[in-house]
Amino acid sequence: MAVIGVGRFIQKRQDFEDAIARSYQVEMTARVRIAEGRGGAAARQVVQRQAARRENLRTNISNDTRDTALLVAAGLLAGLTGALLLFSGLIASLRRPLEELVDAAGRLAAGDLSARVEVGGLSETATLGTAFNEMADQLQLQAKEREQLDRLKDEFVLTASHELRSPLTSVQGFAELLMLERETLTSKQVETVEIILDNCRHLVRLLNDLLDLARSDAGRLAIKMRPTELAPLIDEVVRTLRAQTEGAHQSLSEELEPGMPSISAEPDRIRQILVNLITNAHEYSPEGASIGVRARVVGDEVEVSVSDDGPGIPESQLEHIFERFVRGDAGLTQRVGGTGLGLAISKSLVELHGGTIEAESTPGEGSTFRFRLPLRPAAAAGAETGRATVDSSP
Amino acid sequence: MKMVLIADDSETILLLMRTRLELAGYEVTTAADGQEVVERVAERVPDLLLLDAMMPRKSGIDALRELHAAGHRIPTLIVSAHQNPGDADAPTDLEIDGFVTKPIDFDRLLASIADLTGA
Repeated sequence: MAVIGVGRFIQKRQDFEDAIARSYQVEMTARVRIAEGRGGAAARQVVQRQAARRENLRTNISNDTRDTALLVAAGLLAGLTGALLLFSGLIASLRRPLEELVDAAGRLAAGDLSARVEVGGLSETATLGTAFNEMADQLQLQAKEREQLDRLKDEFVLTASHELRSPLTSVQGFAELLMLERETLTSKQVETVEIILDNCRHLVRLLNDLLDLARSDAGRLAIKMRPTELAPLIDEVVRTLRAQTEGAHQSLSEELEPGMPSISAEPDRIRQILVNLITNAHEYSPEGASIGVRARVVGDEVEVSVSDDGPGIPESQLEHIFERFVRGDAGLTQRVGGTGLGLAISKSLVELHGGTIEAESTPGEGSTFRFRLPLRPAAAAGAETGRATVDSSP
Repeated sequence: MKMVLIADDSETILLLMRTRLELAGYEVTTAADGQEVVERVAERVPDLLLLDAMMPRKSGIDALRELHAAGHRIPTLIVSAHQNPGDADAPTDLEIDGFVTKPIDFDRLLASIADLTGA
């Protein structure tokens, strides 16, 4: 438009100059006639008219010049805006796919393996998008395979521990049958049967622990929460285990804050955690050691701790203490009969209850294992189907 | 003498349980699967059923369901290899008097049997 405007203006300018020239020519002719004395009034009139006509022409052309200048300026502005729009459009066509890629990569990294990008835009970003989608496909496939392997492993452990139970029942049952007639056995035979029974019990513990872990891994370790009084529960566990600790001349004391409110928990599982912690303290501490069980309300949680004045746990072991099959230096005592799974299971059980567990120790002075359970679980229903995290052995 | 019908697909387990129960003064008959359980009950109704939850051909649960449908209400203990019975073996539609886990704690089992048979 500006170009047409400028073209038209040049034409007008040409016309204007022609008109001015013609006007001067007419005036000159009139002046010549006046000079020759033959023009008279008519010629003078012509001179005046031509002067007015030129004035008129000049005004017109000056208006046209201004209009054209404005038109040119407007044209330039429009051109610049167009160029800017074109450029930003180009940037946008590059930026949108890139932003989408960044977003999808973020989601992928966060674990959303279904994250994909729409392939499009410039050929470079399209190639990038296709490559990203292929990578995501591959990752998703691998994750699915790993999940299948995990499930197979879980199924295997569940089935194996299940199948092992029947023969174990027979071995233990018949050994017990022998012990029913112990008066007919020699002391050597009684000792032999007792060893068989000890190992049966150990196997049962191992099977139970493995089963718990496999269930936990498979997200099938369910907690059936109900209102639970902690104090009588702790009291009962302590009384049951006192026979063991007294056998090693260890003292087992309890210190329970009076009036603790009941919590939402599965009593059998809390008992399991307590037995694990107290048994550990008993087995890893020397004869004559003191073991203390304490329970109190801290804020909106109940804290239960089991402390001993045994040899303690070196710092290097402490950080892995809740991983499966990590065990303390058993060389210290011959009595250690744990499976190396108790703390991993305890951690997973505490977490299923919405709680936390921690261990602290000063080598040479003793260890304290402490777990906290919420007085009011935030989502008891969620915890029922919840899946606890269990540290895998490295 | 109270009679207990024991069902398990393992002969060894059957021998073990029969021995322990006979020592405790019970009369014992055995069945190797759920079908045999139904047949034994048809011959003579026992005072207590001790059924393995998982058996080939017909499970203890299925046998019990059949007996209930036939109008038999016999005190029943289900033996389960599951650590926490009820996880997998507990039927929701059947009344069961108790679960026994493997390995079997015979002191507890004998106490339950005495309780249920009123011996």
